[in-house]
Amino acid sequence: MTEKIIELDNISVTFKQKNQTIEAVKNVSLDINRGDIYGIVGYSGAGKSTLVRVINLLQKPTSGKAKINGDLFYENTDGHEKVIETNKLRKKRRKIGMIFQHFNLLNEQTVVQNVEFALKHSSLKEKEIASKALDLLKLVGLEDRANAYPSQLSGGQQQRVAIARALANDPEILISDEGTSALDPKNTIQILDLLKRLNNELGLTVVLITHEMEAVKRIADRVAVMENGEIIETGNLLDIFTNAKHKLTREFVGTESASSKALATLKAAKLVQLDDDQECIQLTYIGSSVSESLIVKLYKDFDVIANIIYGNIEILQGTPVGALFVIVKGSVENRKKAIKFLKEQDIIVTKVEEGEVFNG
Amino acid sequence: MAELFAKYFPNVVYQGWNGDGGWLPAIGQTLYMTFWSAIFGGILGLVFGIGLVLTDSDGILPNRGTFSFFDKVVSFFRAIPFIILLAFIAPVTQKIVGTQIGTTAALVPLSLGVFPFYARQVQVALASVDHGIIEAAQSLGATFSDIVFDVYLREARSELIRVTTVTLISLIGLTAMAGAIGAGGLGNMAIAYGYNRFANDTTFVATLLVLIFVLLVQLIGDFLARVLNHKNI
Repeated sequence: MTEKIIELDNISVTFKQKNQTIEAVKNVSLDINRGDIYGIVGYSGAGKSTLVRVINLLQKPTSGKAKINGDLFYENTDGHEKVIETNKLRKKRRKIGMIFQHFNLLNEQTVVQNVEFALKHSSLKEKEIASKALDLLKLVGLEDRANAYPSQLSGGQQQRVAIARALANDPEILISDEGTSALDPKNTIQILDLLKRLNNELGLTVVLITHEMEAVKRIADRVAVMENGEIIETGNLLDIFTNAKHKLTREFVGTESASSKALATLKAAKLVQLDDDQECIQLTYIGSSVSESLIVKLYKDFDVIANIIYGNIEILQGTPVGALFVIVKGSVENRKKAIKFLKEQDIIVTKVEEGEVFNG
Repeated sequence: MAELFAKYFPNVVYQGWNGDGGWLPAIGQTLYMTFWSAIFGGILGLVFGIGLVLTDSDGILPNRGTFSFFDKVVSFFRAIPFIILLAFIAPVTQKIVGTQIGTTAALVPLSLGVFPFYARQVQVALASVDHGIIEAAQSLGATFSDIVFDVYLREARSELIRVTTVTLISLIGLTAMAGAIGAGGLGNMAIAYGYNRFANDTTFVATLLVLIFVLLVQLIGDFLARVLNHKNI
């Protein structure tokens, strides 16, 4: 039984500047289930950050309805604005942790003071606050740097302090606004794995905004793709990666996949030339593995020779996803039959346009 | 040594340590004026500076009316040349202090003269605090006073000390003019007892003492600003 923890309904955010109005978010509806890691991807300026700021009301929407963890934060569906009371919002915000691209730690306070700052209004006694702050630093593996100042830490360490701080009040939601975008690949992976661990161990719902598909691929369960203030596609990670409907989504997935990089290499090297009886296709298969026998079968049953030019496999949400780039050779009729057969085996077949790889 | 000094600085020695026109009262008056007007002007400046940042359109309490009030008051007092301000607010000084002349009376124009300058400096210092840090504090459920004291004032403290140093030095400059309303001090010593009586040695020593005072303020300010900065080490 899944329970919605974040319900955004027809949210619009409009900024008024001198003579123009900018619609940063347009009628976006988004439900996020408790315990999910939800990735929101899109290029910068797509409205991702504005949208997630509605979740803790750092950004007040212009219209729509936002219900977070059962509490109505904002409602304006009929011209009458209903906003949660400030004092109440403050308490609720403590249950929604947030981390940022540039960490945003208090520079003039030590690591442990940064965490204690988050606990300032908790019901704990001073001693308990100190020990809880240390426990949180242990959780992120930084207890030995408790008395350092943020500027003495690396970017990855600073982000871990920010995570410890965001978790101080035992939140149920953690929002990461480009939380790994300023980090190097090694630190990025560490932070993502930490988020995944927190998701597993604490049942934390994670909202991950990023323009890096790699981050989403590593830990997200579900993905939403944003463009120009609108969500253009949502789905679970596997669907988005293997069966994207929207061009931008494919572009996003594409730019990040090893396959497309390989294609680019092939194209640059001009290694492959296609004859009239040849075409290049991409086979994507999920879960099961394509065995050599398929290739043999294509030859035996359809008189089609398949030449593998590139193949790779990725693990998404624990499921292997394979991609094969194959040049098939045979008569038009036979190739059609072969492709039909492949599709029947639950393999996604995409024709690779000549321009993408060849004659480049 | 003392004889040699008396030979080259006869007027300095003539002024004497104590009594009317003595060096000790002059030094004391300058310190007194600087200290108290720094306290009053400083508090006013801080209040206005913080007010400007908080009520600005991207502040945490955006309010066009209040912002414009703070802004206008600061601009108004900054526009008045200090020597004119001394005379201009004399009636107000009379109401507050009971007299228009003397060292204590000078505190009113000095405080009013220095606060707009300080307010602008504080505004710039606080505006240098990264908006992201304020957003992060808000996301943690920080209260209004948390954000003012733990975020704005604490994050900008090194910057605040730097602008306070600059303001103190310019305030020392203002106290030199307060001699015009009979406030005494080293500035008055340099003009009334030095320049006006062709006693260049007196002017020289008075200037030297002001310089030493400014230098001390600068050194202490720089030291504190450095020690309290943990942003970029």
